[in-house]
Amino acid sequence: MILMQTKAMFIDAYRELNAKKLFWITLGLNLFAVIIFASLGINERGFSILFWTFEGRFNTSVLSEAAFYKLEFLTWGVPWWLSKLATTLALISTASIIPDLVSGGTIEPQLSKPIGRVRLFLTKYLTGLLFVAVQIFVFSFGSFLVLGIRAGSWEFGLFLAVPIVLAFFSYIFAFCAFMGLLTRSTIAALLLTMLFWFTLFVVHTGEGIMIFQREEAALRMEDGPEKIAAQERFATRRIEQLREQGRPIPGEGDEPLPEGIPDALQAINPTLGSAREELASAETAYETWSTWARVTSGLKFVLPKTQETIGLLERNLISEDEVSGLTDMIEQMNQEGGGNSGDPRLGERVEAVYDARSIGWILGTSFVFEGVLLGVCCLIFARRDF
Amino acid sequence: MEAVIDVRGVEKMYKGRVHALRGVDLKVGSGEIFGLLGPNGAGKSTLVKVLLTVIRATKCEGSLLGAKVGDKSVLSQVGYLPEHHNFPKYLTSRQLLRHFGAMAGVDRSVRNSKAEELLELVGMKDWSDSKLGSYSKGMRQRVGIAQALMNDPKLVILDEPTDGVDPIGRKDIREILTRLKDEGRTVFLNSHLLSELEMVCDRVAIMVHGLMRQQGTIEELTDGQSGYAIRATTAIGSDVRSTVQAKLQGVDAIETKDPTELVFATSDAEVVQPVIDTLRSQGVSIKAFGFRRPSLEDLFVKAVQEHPGGATPGAQRNKKGARS
Repeated sequence: MILMQTKAMFIDAYRELNAKKLFWITLGLNLFAVIIFASLGINERGFSILFWTFEGRFNTSVLSEAAFYKLEFLTWGVPWWLSKLATTLALISTASIIPDLVSGGTIEPQLSKPIGRVRLFLTKYLTGLLFVAVQIFVFSFGSFLVLGIRAGSWEFGLFLAVPIVLAFFSYIFAFCAFMGLLTRSTIAALLLTMLFWFTLFVVHTGEGIMIFQREEAALRMEDGPEKIAAQERFATRRIEQLREQGRPIPGEGDEPLPEGIPDALQAINPTLGSAREELASAETAYETWSTWARVTSGLKFVLPKTQETIGLLERNLISEDEVSGLTDMIEQMNQEGGGNSGDPRLGERVEAVYDARSIGWILGTSFVFEGVLLGVCCLIFARRDF
Repeated sequence: MEAVIDVRGVEKMYKGRVHALRGVDLKVGSGEIFGLLGPNGAGKSTLVKVLLTVIRATKCEGSLLGAKVGDKSVLSQVGYLPEHHNFPKYLTSRQLLRHFGAMAGVDRSVRNSKAEELLELVGMKDWSDSKLGSYSKGMRQRVGIAQALMNDPKLVILDEPTDGVDPIGRKDIREILTRLKDEGRTVFLNSHLLSELEMVCDRVAIMVHGLMRQQGTIEELTDGQSGYAIRATTAIGSDVRSTVQAKLQGVDAIETKDPTELVFATSDAEVVQPVIDTLRSQGVSIKAFGFRRPSLEDLFVKAVQEHPGGATPGAQRNKKGARS
């Protein structure tokens, strides 16, 4: 009977979404996104859109066709289309599932059937996820065909997008279901979920800024002693020269140290003072940013990791070797253009912080959040009088 | 008779101290049509929802179809039409019936044929492929009743089944109810339409402010209130009334507010003939004479009016800290 009821609820959910037209609109948009995906390309002469090639250095000598499509999938297909635009459409389509379930006149016939409340609620929740799973699968399958046909690479790894983006959506949808259950209003649930999603973005961005600042300060702290040592060496040499020349040295004999200067080295080399101040400032900044990074990381620990979850796809789908040509080209272009791409060590350090976060940590803590939220939902749903 | 519903001391206290049910005892036998009456807010729908696990009772003892109230498995043998139902408008009536059939655990082959049979029964066969959104209220009500019968239930609970249904539709529904009874099913009706209930119910109960006031067959409930009524053209004086009463030793007069009327608690017309003679001899002109039994409406109004505040709509709200 469980299978029969579950199947009936899934069919009903499909009919509901079908009636709203949004299912087909989103599916159509997914296919449109795949067409755009397929219309872009790279060849030995340059970058192409449909039948037009834009000749340039960005060609297959720096990036293989397969790597180009994977990069395309990872840089806009998943982060922009699937996890932003398509997710927004999916939320609009599915936000009503729980408020509709608990609305007067709808819930009574459901509860009067031989089905437990927790199973009823969770199955309804899963119907929302199924909608999104179908949409992600269609986009991934389309991208898989594009990559296979256009680049000759049949990359089954693209289908990792289905569980990963589904996991991402499930965090947000769990919150939406919770709000829908509490408010019984689709609009309220949708707006509050958007606010929650924005909050996650702010926390993630905030943590990123804190970590960046902390690592930047840490880098300055690491470089500081060496800079000071260099300036001290320079000042020592200068003092020796002055001594050889018989000229007065501040702090020795009758020659006083200038006010506020701690030693002869700094009196001789004012840059040493700047280096020392720089180190002291880096130490203070490190303390401050470490505190804030801990606060934001603590906050983030309990919240679902939407960005990192999506980032898991990048970890697993493309290797550094595949994009090394492109990376080299970008660096070369920066040098040619006189641009300053900053200290590469800083990027590496920040990246290392995120890479240190295991898949288990990212998904585990996020699923704990989702599980707790759904647990509370089940408790409310099971105990509420309708 | 085997009890299909047998509950005792059912209580439901909502947050905000609304005491919807205040110790309800109810027994419904197998194969009967049972009607539950009561003013708005009496607790009728709450009682039904408690039986169907839609609402959790504060206190409830007893059984539904032999299982403890709250046991979900027994609901596969119960059909239910809620009062203000809101079935999905995107479904056709055929899809709705099949969906609820599946939810009740009816096998696919059975539910497909059952859906066709029931659509025919409720007169919705021609509309079976149209979406519910295009139906009138009466049509939705018919489909709702069919939905309640999809699982071949032993007990059918219908909350205001004739709400929004035209007179022809009501007649059809009455016929369906009678048919269900003939098939040996138990039908539990919640309704405001007392005349409808009176026509089909074997037993009724009257509920006021969360308490069961009366329960029994209509004959049982009207016992002692039926009798022969004599109506005069003018008011009958107290002296005449005393003379008449003296003539009828052992037959009680039933109290009536009409001064031109005399009512005696007997079903034997011969017993009251001397009264007519006496009235005539006293110069009283007789306008009408006949047997009278109170209608269900009379019983209902009486039960409601006897209860303090019974005519006021809504469940009783307790004062803070008070327990009724």
